[in-house]
Amino acid sequence: MNVSKTEKTIHHIVLVIVALLFVLPLIWMLVASVDTNAIQSLKIPDELTMENYLSIIQDPAIVRSFGIGLLLSGGQSIIVVIIAVLAAYPLSRYRASYKKPFLYTILFLTSLPITAVIVPVFQLFLLLRFEDNLIAVMFFLIGSALPYAIWMMKNFMDSVPIELEESAWVDGASVATGLRKVVAPLMVPGMFTVLIFTYTGSWGNFFVPFILLSSQDKMPASVTIFQFFGNYGLIQYGRLAAFSVLYTMPVVILYYIAQRYMSAGFSFGGATKG
Amino acid sequence: MKNIGKGSLIIFASTLLLAACGNGNGESTGEDTQNGATSGNGEEVTLDVTWRFAGDPDNIGDYVREFSDWYSDEQDEVVINPDPITASEGDYFSNVSLSLQSADTAPEILSQDTFMISADANAGYLVNLDDLVADWDEWDNFIENIKDGVLGEDGSVYGIPTTTDSRGIWYNKSVFEEAGLPTDWQPESWNDIYEAAEMVRDNTEAIPFSMNLASVNGEAVTMQTFQMLWYGTGETMYDEEAQLWNVNGEGIIESFSFIDEIMNQRNLGPSLSVAINQNYGSVIMQDMFPSGAVAMVLDGSWNMSHFVEGGTAEFDNPEDEIGFAMMPTQDGSGDGFITMAGGWSWVIPENSQHHEESWEAIKAMSTEEWQTRRAMKEGTLTVRQDSAESEEYADRPFVETATEALNYAHFRPKHDLYPNISIFIQNAVEAVATGNMTPEEAAEDYRNNVVDLVGEENTY
Amino acid sequence: MASYAADKKHKRLSDNTKTSIFLSPAFVVLAIFFLVPMVLTIVIAFTNLALTGSQAQQLQFVGFDNFVRMFNDNQLYSSIILTLIFVFFSAILGQCLMGFIIAFMMKGKNSTFRRIIGIAVIAAWVTPEVVVGFAWTIFLGDSGTVNNVLTFLGQYLPFLPQEPVAWLFQYPMVSVVVANIWRGTAFSMMAFQTALDDIPTEVEEAAIMDGASRWKSVWNITIPMVKGTIVTNLLLVTLQTLGVFTLIYTMTGGGPSGSTMTLPVYMYQQAFVSFQLGYGTAISLVLLLIGAIFSLFYIKFLKVKI
Repeated sequence: MNVSKTEKTIHHIVLVIVALLFVLPLIWMLVASVDTNAIQSLKIPDELTMENYLSIIQDPAIVRSFGIGLLLSGGQSIIVVIIAVLAAYPLSRYRASYKKPFLYTILFLTSLPITAVIVPVFQLFLLLRFEDNLIAVMFFLIGSALPYAIWMMKNFMDSVPIELEESAWVDGASVATGLRKVVAPLMVPGMFTVLIFTYTGSWGNFFVPFILLSSQDKMPASVTIFQFFGNYGLIQYGRLAAFSVLYTMPVVILYYIAQRYMSAGFSFGGATKG
Repeated sequence: MKNIGKGSLIIFASTLLLAACGNGNGESTGEDTQNGATSGNGEEVTLDVTWRFAGDPDNIGDYVREFSDWYSDEQDEVVINPDPITASEGDYFSNVSLSLQSADTAPEILSQDTFMISADANAGYLVNLDDLVADWDEWDNFIENIKDGVLGEDGSVYGIPTTTDSRGIWYNKSVFEEAGLPTDWQPESWNDIYEAAEMVRDNTEAIPFSMNLASVNGEAVTMQTFQMLWYGTGETMYDEEAQLWNVNGEGIIESFSFIDEIMNQRNLGPSLSVAINQNYGSVIMQDMFPSGAVAMVLDGSWNMSHFVEGGTAEFDNPEDEIGFAMMPTQDGSGDGFITMAGGWSWVIPENSQHHEESWEAIKAMSTEEWQTRRAMKEGTLTVRQDSAESEEYADRPFVETATEALNYAHFRPKHDLYPNISIFIQNAVEAVATGNMTPEEAAEDYRNNVVDLVGEENTY
Repeated sequence: MASYAADKKHKRLSDNTKTSIFLSPAFVVLAIFFLVPMVLTIVIAFTNLALTGSQAQQLQFVGFDNFVRMFNDNQLYSSIILTLIFVFFSAILGQCLMGFIIAFMMKGKNSTFRRIIGIAVIAAWVTPEVVVGFAWTIFLGDSGTVNNVLTFLGQYLPFLPQEPVAWLFQYPMVSVVVANIWRGTAFSMMAFQTALDDIPTEVEEAAIMDGASRWKSVWNITIPMVKGTIVTNLLLVTLQTLGVFTLIYTMTGGGPSGSTMTLPVYMYQQAFVSFQLGYGTAISLVLLLIGAIFSLFYIKFLKVKI
């Protein structure tokens, strides 16, 4: 027995309390979304209703924005993962003369907030005639997510021992095959982490599409919920709660799917090497 | 792995398809102005009309669509395309400023807050309307004061006013009765306000006097509160002719003192958790004031839309329950009353196409008939003298007083740095209201901030 | 052996080339959609560009004027301090520490139990920032859940508030820090979970059998074993927290009285409310500088492995 029973019990209790505390702010949202007369306080609804959800789902503009958002963030995050894996490989394995400066610069630039860059980007878009163009917006989102993604991916890759690859090479595999059959499977948890991280980031990004797109019907869900909040925010709590729940759903589902692959956990490299 | 590969390809391909379709749509809704061929061969011209959509009810949208239908009946060459931007006010301005920069994004007709016009004109974003207006006989029918608001820094006309508003003191008649005050109240000095507020405080449970004080409420603090006080002392914020900012005036300290008296010295104001709150506006005007929890509120005339049919705090006979009084000057001297005036105008972006057609459409929307219709629909004040005199317009609750106030209207300084300086005021007001600064300290703070920003040589 | 050595040399020679090939997609995308905007942004910081007004179309280079102005700007200094406070308490002390503690306590427990606790924490992480801001604004409101619970308990426990507390007004920094910790802990938790789980239990048992107290064994054995994770996590979380904007803006708008006006919020106010893009961008460079300092600190002194 390595840890005393008392200690274990304390752990359990504390964790349960922590979990409850974490869930608390969200409970209001779930409860209010089915309440006909939702108010700010957490209360048991007098009357349950699906009306709030229906009014959101039946609004074609909102549904459309959800679709756009899914494709925008989905496409963005998948492409980011692919590019990041490719980029992380040499950064993790090879010695290149410009490796350090490249990584330092990438890291350094991630702290610049999007709001600072957005106006030059808008003007750049005007120049390249990218305005109101969803694909261009997606690529901008890709570009801004890449630094962090590459950094994270490299760390995950660092934890995949090179010996495994080398043994594959000894067995006659090419670098590409080794990458595909040895490294990638072990990277799956890492890739999913980056995927979710990137997806969550762009799914919630309001400012970029708002500025770079001008047609209302090209706006993704992050913009429509923000507008909804601004227009009806503190008056129709129930509808807003329902919208929020629906808006959070895709990321939750994504996480659930990824859970299976991520159950192996993810390591930041060097864990056992200290 | 293979599944992931396939899945990602499919998603990627669909995104491409969608974007391609989306972009195609974008071109056909008139964003890309190439499809609206110009003059000469009778092909249709599409004019994109942009305004700020702020949620239901969509009064402006209804109005524009109504006009669009009527206009299509009247003639064949021009089609009006409603193309609103859904955003908070601040985001609307940013979005608009960016879209005005290029022909591909600028709409043909834009609804712009009158106070932004001079900055936009300086930026070269707007078409100078001087010549067009000179040829237009209807221009004389517009209220003189209001015309002042649409002039650029160079004195030229850059917009056609569509709506305006005034500010004053809303008061709850039931609470006034309970306090023993007259229900047709019109204060004539700041002292009258103090007296009425003290009677409310001593005889009722209601909060006597409320105004916008939180820096998070932005421009409302400067325009509905501070300038209403400051300009009532006979001073102005900016000398347009000499191009100097007022930083040493006594009126500054006195205006801060009013706030200090109400909030701290005489206890006539709301609690800080009510006042310093992002939702101050909606909570006060849609809940606390109509229900009698607050007796007087210094705020804008547009709030009347809450109290009439369709509003969130509807009354059967609004004028029996609620009153709207003009804001007096400090001691009743000068004009006796004062209001800041804002409002919106139609402007023609320089970078848009079809300037001529846009002008024709704007003229059509600015006739007495359509002007009155707009004011009625939106619950705002009309900008035309003749509309203001029409019966059905003047009959609407509170309109008479609100329009009378326009006679004493002042406009905000037309200067590019105004928004920045306004923020100094907002912060100082909040500091005084919360007791963090004395009126003298706040005036000093304002002075220092402005001097730091524009240089001492531009102040007086 | 000779052929292997030759292979090694061959490999090393083309390392640079191979690296270039692998990195090329990243390079291209980054160059156009990241680097060019960055450079433009930095250039703008030396101009007086505005969104509207006479500086909109004819901007001028003003050299270091914006930076000189920053020297005299009191709000800037307080924004820097607020940002540092925010990062210290919400990233370092909050997310990393909490993530570690949670992961530590979860070690060795039943996997279903772990999953349930995990989901609760992660639910906060996956919720979009706008929704988080909005949910917390209501949570902390005058008739929100926190006040409901506190005033209810306050009836029995006199040291608790008897009336609702306007959290966002009286304790704004605390409110946004807590909300941010709530939101981001999951990331650290997941990182530490793996790292800690990788430590074989025999190592800890051995330490205890050697007579080390529980605390000592944690401090001297467990923590050093996950040092790499700790430091990398600190770095990533710090940088991420530096740029937090939407959460603070939706909850407090930077107020009251600028008490939560961190650099990103101040920058937004200058660029999009006052329309002073040049100045706003210059402020964001300060943020960049702080990020660089943190990065260097972590790399040099805590030895994050590149």
